[in-house]
Amino acid sequence: MERDLLRQALSFHGPTLLSLLRTEQHDNPDFRGLLPPAGPSLEPPREAQHQPPARKEKRIDNIEIQHFIAKKADLLFALSWKPSASTDSESNEENEDCYAVMPPLEQFMEVPSEDRRELFFRDIERGDVVIGRISSIREFGFFMVLICLGSGVIREISQLEITALCPLRDVPSHSSHGDPLSYYQTGDLIQAAIKDIDRYHEKLTISLHSSALPPSLSSTKLGVISSEDLPLHYRRSVEVASTSETYEKVLHHSLGFANPAVVEFLLGKLGLSESSPPSLMRGLQSKNFNEEDFAFALRKKQSASWALKCVKIGVDYFKVGRHVEAMNEYNKALEIDAQNVEALVARGALYATKGSLNKAIDDFEVALKNCPTHRNARKYLCQTLVERGGQLEEEDNLLNAQNYYKKALILDETFKEAEDALLKLRKHMQKSLEMREKQAAKEERQKEKKIETSAQKLRKLLKEEKRLKKKRRRSTSSSSSSSSDSSSDVSVSSSSSSSSDHKRHKKRSRNRSVSSRSSKKHSSRVSSHQRDQSRKDEWYSPPADTSASFLNQKYEMEKLLERQDRLVYQKTEVRERDRQCSLSRTSADDEDTFGGRSEDSRDSYCSSKTQSTSSKNEKQGKADRSSSNRRGSSSSYHWKSDDKTKTHDSRKLEKEVEGRKEQFRKCGSSQSMYSTSPAGSDFSGKSVEKNKQYSSTWLYEYSGNDDGSRHELTQSTNERRDYKNRESSPGETTKAKELDEETTLNGKGQSESGVKKSLPQNLLNIFNQIAEFERQKGSKQKNQ
Amino acid sequence: MEPNQAASDQTGPGSAETRSHFKVTRFIMEAGVKLGLHSIPVATACTIYHSFFTATVAPGPYDPYLVAMAALYLAGKVEEQHLRTRDIINVSHRYLHPKSDPLELDSHFWELRDSIVQCELLMLRVLGFRVSFRHPHKYLLHYLLSLRRWMNRHSWERIPVSAAAWALLRDSYHGGLCVRYPPQHVAVAVLDLALHCYGVEVPVHAQAQKPWWQVFSEDLSKAQIDQIVLDLIQIYTLDAEIS
Repeated sequence: MERDLLRQALSFHGPTLLSLLRTEQHDNPDFRGLLPPAGPSLEPPREAQHQPPARKEKRIDNIEIQHFIAKKADLLFALSWKPSASTDSESNEENEDCYAVMPPLEQFMEVPSEDRRELFFRDIERGDVVIGRISSIREFGFFMVLICLGSGVIREISQLEITALCPLRDVPSHSSHGDPLSYYQTGDLIQAAIKDIDRYHEKLTISLHSSALPPSLSSTKLGVISSEDLPLHYRRSVEVASTSETYEKVLHHSLGFANPAVVEFLLGKLGLSESSPPSLMRGLQSKNFNEEDFAFALRKKQSASWALKCVKIGVDYFKVGRHVEAMNEYNKALEIDAQNVEALVARGALYATKGSLNKAIDDFEVALKNCPTHRNARKYLCQTLVERGGQLEEEDNLLNAQNYYKKALILDETFKEAEDALLKLRKHMQKSLEMREKQAAKEERQKEKKIETSAQKLRKLLKEEKRLKKKRRRSTSSSSSSSSDSSSDVSVSSSSSSSSDHKRHKKRSRNRSVSSRSSKKHSSRVSSHQRDQSRKDEWYSPPADTSASFLNQKYEMEKLLERQDRLVYQKTEVRERDRQCSLSRTSADDEDTFGGRSEDSRDSYCSSKTQSTSSKNEKQGKADRSSSNRRGSSSSYHWKSDDKTKTHDSRKLEKEVEGRKEQFRKCGSSQSMYSTSPAGSDFSGKSVEKNKQYSSTWLYEYSGNDDGSRHELTQSTNERRDYKNRESSPGETTKAKELDEETTLNGKGQSESGVKKSLPQNLLNIFNQIAEFERQKGSKQKNQ
Repeated sequence: MEPNQAASDQTGPGSAETRSHFKVTRFIMEAGVKLGLHSIPVATACTIYHSFFTATVAPGPYDPYLVAMAALYLAGKVEEQHLRTRDIINVSHRYLHPKSDPLELDSHFWELRDSIVQCELLMLRVLGFRVSFRHPHKYLLHYLLSLRRWMNRHSWERIPVSAAAWALLRDSYHGGLCVRYPPQHVAVAVLDLALHCYGVEVPVHAQAQKPWWQVFSEDLSKAQIDQIVLDLIQIYTLDAEIS
């Protein structure tokens, strides 16, 4: 209770109110503590004080009002009613657009000037802004007659002849020399701040330094102002004084009064709140209102139950197998209530049954985010994650699969299935790694035998190349401009690799072949930057680094994982998109793929030709292209070599034998190429290790191919066949054999196409043959 | 209880009709708060409600709560704070059936919604499409602002005159004051009562040539103010009786 307020009211209304209060509020504990001490002890003096002026206008309804006050005293004198927003923001911002700026009230009330003067000196305070006219300038300062007030109390003072002194020290000097007062003239309009008040002698001191202003008004400009800068209320009061308009008329004519937002604006100015409006009705106290009864809460509740109803209908549809209707209901539910957990879980479950595991995972994740304790959401999410992981495992994307299993385990540590799957996966990864190592070792041995003689040649060539590289650096710009070309290269590589894949794993072949095609779009957009970048890196790295070789497969698993992990997200993204694409176009895949591939190879062939600016040999260009297809990383290297000699290609092989030490790094770079490029990601098939395997064989093929093409096409194919036989004979898995077959075929096709560039007549024929052959093969596989 | 009440004036205080209107306007105000409605639209809704029942024959075949809902809906439109019928129905249903769950959005709901829209049309016709009102709110706020400048700023900050006046004005819509008196008069009366409650006098009121209420409204006399204040206090007496 506000003791001061109550005391003031009591002193105003006299003892009758006190007795009424006693009877009305006697059971109110707040007043019990307040009234008795205020009553007996203070009553006699107050009566003595206030009885004399006691209510000159004693009205009939006065007693009614006192009854009213007594009854509502607990509300009226409640602390919470204190105007919360201290309205000191009431600066001199007078916006006529916001509300009606009225002349001071006393002007209409016609209050005698003595009273006005008295009240002015009672209410004026330091820091208030006053406006006046300079009446005289002395050596110690200037005097001015106040005409109006700019802040704080707004009063009508122009007739009061109040003078104020602005001492010299409070006049800022405008120039470094001379008297600051020389700047001012008698009659100037000055806006200044009150610095000191002598209420007894009615003397004011003002200052032109803004430090005299309160912080809220610090932006007010002090000093000389023009008559346009006079506050609006003063100009209004001048008008009113001349026309003697009534308050009501001025109000109605004011533009601000018609402002539809005037009520809100003034409520803010007066510190009243619309959200919890005050009331003297006990039933309307905003504190008694229950949040649950508010429209927003009710609507939310209603929407939730409505959405739930839709979900139920959807579940019923789902049970009878009408999945489309069920999906419609779920979507409707989510439209009504976008965060409805049940609807999200139900839709997720439907997605999962329909095989859209990623969408299902998304839905479950949103549901779980909204309601972390939802058991079904968690359970389903775990299951779906494991399922998706299994799917990825089957597609040989072991690292992603591992991630999914891990995610599932994070959600539910006790989820056995995920744990088992993860363990199994790890074993599998280990095994395949070892296997690959073995195979790599064999390959190495073979290579050594084969190309030992060229080892020494390579050294010479290396030196030579270093020189060339410097030259090459100068021509980087030409290579960077060919980024679009290289992207098409990648698409070829992906398509051809997928087609090889295609034959080996018919299960996944469809998806992959299509996905690789669709990835062309991505590759041109998404990966061109990356590859550009990586190529540039290689550009500046020593040639030993760039000659990526896969002879040595002793690449550590950890490094591999690190690399993969970094790229998992982006990879999965691309793959998912691809998958969606592939689903939509399962038919006519094979033909598309092959046709597309041959076309692409031609395209890329041409582009590679342009890339190798100084290409002397078409075959060279072709070889270059094909190898760059296999590994983006090697492309730059090849271009370099193109500039140099034809014989360079063979060097690659030699170098591969030579550069044992670099092989780790090489491996790394090529691996990263696979992971960064979408082509690599399209290899969603057979795990990283497998990818490596492919690429290694490809490399072989192409280095062989390059060799061969330099001399004779037929020779190269023979060589490759030899190689294939060699490779397959030392107890390779059948898979590897198949792979080799594929690679040979593709390589042949491509090398042939390369040759045909110089023989355009034959080109089409042979292409057709290849396409025919592959189509047959594809259909065979399908039949199988 | 009925006979002596029937004896009193039909619109007089304590009559059954006044009581029922009091209850329904209370409903409008509560619903207004729950719908997040501002003071002006609530005032408009109450005025529409009161003027609808002054324009129609006494009891009428109308369900007052339906009229109130339609009045809220219409007031939202008039005062540019549009409400959705679904929210109005939800809040009203919750008010009339406390602790109940929100209505299902079935045919019953849509019928209810239709009846609100139909009632709104009927009200518009009954009121002759005169549904924009001049409320005392704007006047009161300007009066308060003028008064604040004339009073000592510290006593103004200490005394919650604006809050009290605003509360009184909002509460005044429980009765038909808004229909009977011009807005300026109501605003002055509300301000007068608020000042009295805290024992505040307008400075040098006695010495002034013109009393402050006459400044605000030329055609206002002290007696008129007292009458409005009495009416206002009556509303609170009714509140105490009913609740």
